[in-house]
Amino acid sequence: MNRFSLLLQDISSLWAKYGSTYLGGIERTLILALVATAIGCLIGFVCGILQTIPIRENDPAVKKFFLGLIRAIIRIYVEVFRGTPMILQAVFIFYGLPYFSNNALQFKNKWLVSILVVSINTGAYMAESVRGGIISVDPGQTEGAMAIGMNHFQTMTSVILPQAIRNIMPQIGNNYIINLKDTSVMFIIGFSDFFAVHKSVAGATFIYFPSAVIEMAGYLCMTLVASLLLRIVERKMEGSSDYELVQGDQLTMTAGNYNYHKPKDPGSADAIALEREDSLKKGDDRS
Amino acid sequence: MSSAENVSGKGEPIISVRHLSKSFGKHEVLKDIDFNVYKGDVTTIIGASGSGKSTLLRCINLLETPTSGAILYHSENVADKSVDAPQYRSHVGMVFQSFNLFANMNVLDNCMVGQKKVLHRSAEEAQANAMKYLKHVGMDSYIKARPRQLSGGQKQRVAIARALAMDPEILLFDEPTSALDPEMVGEVLTVMDTLAKEGMTMIVVTHEMAFARDISSQVVYMNQGVICEQGSPEEVFGNPQQEATKEFLKRFIRG
Repeated sequence: MNRFSLLLQDISSLWAKYGSTYLGGIERTLILALVATAIGCLIGFVCGILQTIPIRENDPAVKKFFLGLIRAIIRIYVEVFRGTPMILQAVFIFYGLPYFSNNALQFKNKWLVSILVVSINTGAYMAESVRGGIISVDPGQTEGAMAIGMNHFQTMTSVILPQAIRNIMPQIGNNYIINLKDTSVMFIIGFSDFFAVHKSVAGATFIYFPSAVIEMAGYLCMTLVASLLLRIVERKMEGSSDYELVQGDQLTMTAGNYNYHKPKDPGSADAIALEREDSLKKGDDRS
Repeated sequence: MSSAENVSGKGEPIISVRHLSKSFGKHEVLKDIDFNVYKGDVTTIIGASGSGKSTLLRCINLLETPTSGAILYHSENVADKSVDAPQYRSHVGMVFQSFNLFANMNVLDNCMVGQKKVLHRSAEEAQANAMKYLKHVGMDSYIKARPRQLSGGQKQRVAIARALAMDPEILLFDEPTSALDPEMVGEVLTVMDTLAKEGMTMIVVTHEMAFARDISSQVVYMNQGVICEQGSPEEVFGNPQQEATKEFLKRFIRG
């Protein structure tokens, strides 16, 4: 128990001295994750929507070419940014620009480059999620929309996307939580997020473990709150399952089992057809 | 079989299908289909599964692109690439086997969205029109319900109201009762029967033979991608000429 009371002591002394530093780190991490996830979702939606524009066999050649080109570019973007570590992408972009411009151009703003890298990364994942969300909506509804004369854009905005967004809400939440944690790699370019605070505090005080405990608790708090908020949003989007009924449904109650035999006038064409049917039923085939 | 050029005294046909063919890859589903639909006609298309009935209906609504031939809508060939397909479809309603209601909207919005987006009607006008047709199909009590809360028959009636709310000139039904439980078939057929009596022009693909016989003005029997026999219900059901038609009807009625 001795060790635990020592830990508590260390934590409280760290917090007394560096509490506001830790909170500042939390704030920057939250903002970076939120902004980057939002921009990433935007990128993802644009890419996902562009990818699912149908190419029809009787489309003009120019349209086919451009849609094909767009699909190829998005494919490359997704594969490159999904297939390399984010920490490396940060280094690549942060040092790449000055290298190519012979130091004339540099990222002065760590915020800018951090948001850029995390958004592009999130966008690559979201592009696939959005595509999945769109193709998961029953294609019959697309046909239903087409059949009443809606064009592709109207079908998308009124019918498909509202359902696709609902379907990918868990994915958006996933990405936000991943971003909360993974923005910690931005210390590599000197962005002082929550994790970078740990590095500087521990570097100054040589108290590693108690600081790590604060970090663990801090990250867990952020992600738990995010999960909770997400659940609430999802439930809101589900909508109420109640609906008012003005009165009973007359047709369901009266139509009953289908038995389509109207009273016939003997000798009419209908009656002849009926007789024919009856004779067929008995297997009395005149042919 | 009457030829497409036949003038029957009913004026110009609304839809005239001429030498229509459709292939999926090497598989030829429709071969040289010819028939006319005049105003007020109820045309039922019958035939075994896989005979091309649904494909024909989907071609008429341009959900499938015909491989060759023409579909004349008031003498304009809508199978032509330059035709504005959404614009044409807004005049031709379609009711599907699987309802295809919009799951993210309630019953009323399902019937309003097309009117607002495609016909640019005001919300009030769209709502009044939607309510008129929902009442017609007996679903006006359910305007706030979501499609998932309705039974199959109710969904199909809403789908019919959605198509009607666009005030189409002609309504296509693609096996509207095939996905329904037997006790729900009646309510949908009752609605269709009412529409037919009111003079709605309809093309109905169906397996309900008694229904086809009773409401049709024209019956088209399809077999293996061609129109095998065509005529009044009395002719086709009462006195079929083709061997295949006789076989089909016999098999069908024996169940």
